Amino acid sequence: MGELSRDSGFPGTAAGGARRAAPGGGGAAATVFDGAWRPLAMARSSLTWRSALYLATSFAFGLGWFVTLAVGLTLSVSLLIIWVGLPLLAMLMVAWRFGAMLERFLVQAAFGVAIPAPYRRMPPGRNPLVKLRAMAADQATWKDLAYLLLLFPVALVEFVVSLTVWGATFTLLFMPAIVGFGSGGVEVNLGVFSYWAGNPVEALPVSVGGLVFLVLAMYVTRSLAVAHAVIAKLLLGQSVSQAENRRLRERTAHLQASRARGVDAAEFERRRIERDLHDGAQQRLLAVAMDIGRARAKLDDDPEGARTLIEQAHSGTKEAISELRDLARGIYPAILTDRGLDPALSGLAGRAPVPVEVEVDLPERPPAAVESIAYFIVAESLANIAKYARATRASVRVAREDSWVVVEVIDNGVGGAVARPDGGLSGLADRAATIDGMLIVDSPPGGPTIIRADLPCTW
Amino acid sequence: MRVVIAEDSVLLREGLVRLLADAGIETAATVGDGPGLLGIVDEHAPDLAIVDVRMPPSFTDEGLRAALAVRERRPGTPILVLSQYVEERYATDLIGGGAEGVGYLLKERVSDVADFIDAVRRIAAGGTVIDPEVIGQLLGRRRTGDPLEALTPREHEVLGLMAQGRSNGAIANDLVVTEGAVEKHISNIFMKLDLQPAQGGHRRVMAVLAYLGRADA
Repeated sequence: MGELSRDSGFPGTAAGGARRAAPGGGGAAATVFDGAWRPLAMARSSLTWRSALYLATSFAFGLGWFVTLAVGLTLSVSLLIIWVGLPLLAMLMVAWRFGAMLERFLVQAAFGVAIPAPYRRMPPGRNPLVKLRAMAADQATWKDLAYLLLLFPVALVEFVVSLTVWGATFTLLFMPAIVGFGSGGVEVNLGVFSYWAGNPVEALPVSVGGLVFLVLAMYVTRSLAVAHAVIAKLLLGQSVSQAENRRLRERTAHLQASRARGVDAAEFERRRIERDLHDGAQQRLLAVAMDIGRARAKLDDDPEGARTLIEQAHSGTKEAISELRDLARGIYPAILTDRGLDPALSGLAGRAPVPVEVEVDLPERPPAAVESIAYFIVAESLANIAKYARATRASVRVAREDSWVVVEVIDNGVGGAVARPDGGLSGLADRAATIDGMLIVDSPPGGPTIIRADLPCTW
Repeated sequence: MRVVIAEDSVLLREGLVRLLADAGIETAATVGDGPGLLGIVDEHAPDLAIVDVRMPPSFTDEGLRAALAVRERRPGTPILVLSQYVEERYATDLIGGGAEGVGYLLKERVSDVADFIDAVRRIAAGGTVIDPEVIGQLLGRRRTGDPLEALTPREHEVLGLMAQGRSNGAIANDLVVTEGAVEKHISNIFMKLDLQPAQGGHRRVMAVLAYLGRADA
């Protein structure tokens, strides 16, 4: 999960670790479609060299497949009259499907373009005839065949063009060496004037020309690579409806996962509330009841002792009330509904043990679910800061970025916060996941800790 | 002294009536929702209205809005708002229409009877009583380049007590210092926060609360 593409609808909910790549980030391009076209960047990128290698060698595959298929198809079709043709054709079909798989692998290795296999699911069972019939009925099988037949002319053009430009490039680049090791000399013709280069030093200007050719060769390579990748995607890839199906399947799986996380988060929350009630207010009120009971017994013969007990009961009830209040506010803060995030977060910041700067910059109120999740992320983060971070200050920022609400909590504490399973932080990630949001924790040892949540405003 | 009460919980309403009666304060009328408050205030012109924030029909900040409506229609009517949770924003809304005769307290303060009755009397007399929790919230929220940073811890304490509506004498008592020392702290605070030194209790509270409650400074 190195980077997150917001439009894919599958932001990972990485609690920890994942960092979004900066827009237009300096990372190496993954595919020939989105790599930079600057000469220096191309020279540095291994994609250029992998593409060049593929373009120079695929001709061999193209020729091999063309011959195999041409001979094989002619033979098997002509032998269909007697039954031998059929198994031959079947073998051939298995072979070219295998060839197509190999091509998918090579195209990914060379151009970085992943082409998921488009085949329909094979029927169950072990009957090879059934399987073969399914293969023959699958449109993808015949598209494979088309690609492999087309590979020969396409690869031939690629081979010739590549050989020409790269050949010229290397000849010119290494001209000093060529001159030095034998050819005796070369005529350098620059149009305006020409001279005879008789030794390596005199041939050096030719190498400069080689550099120009190198840039040209890289452009040519990239263009051919893009063209080839497009053809491969069209013939070896999935059709539009297949791709749509796959996307829907992935989306369903994603939604199932996020629903499960949402249910878990809610369950976790309910357990926490029950535990807080049981350990806190319930125990306190019980103690109060005991104090009052003892006071009632002492009223007649020890009024002074009874007074002390009543005092104690009084302060006990006040503690219980304040605990219940905090608990109820933790379940859902009324002010959030009434007035929105800004005052609710101010209240949180005001109750935090360290000074907290709050900055809320929202043009309008986001949906209630987003508000509530944003609030709990801040609440939990501030609680963690109070408990573990040993920070002296913190800041909270909530802002709208396109169709996202971004929540950021930063503290200057000791860092080292991690999202343990069943811990508060992963609970927050789960909550964010319920609305397709994501949570990033960046907390190197020694701090500062940044907790950032991106929550979609529409989902 | 006569009060009216708007509170939806019967248990609490009856408790309040009895508690006030013990202190010799008469309850003229009670209602259980926000809109009803205006009616009973109009009818009885009480010395003080005690209002709960969360009431029907909406169960959000009904009581607060009713209180603001009362202040608008009959300026100067002393109001004490009680709330299960105190929120600084409610306090600043309330003070926005003038701090004279305004109180905003946590509901649970009612159980400290003597203090509560004292607060009731002070508000009815035109004073200001703001819950320490609210002040804590106001002081806890920091803004970038906040002049509050410039205050000494002692000045912080004094500012907090002042914002609650305490008199110089009461502050001096609390901090065990002389009244002269308190005055000195206060003038320092006003200087550091760049506020006009105000004379008189509620004007001073106003200045401090207005300063603390700036939504975005």
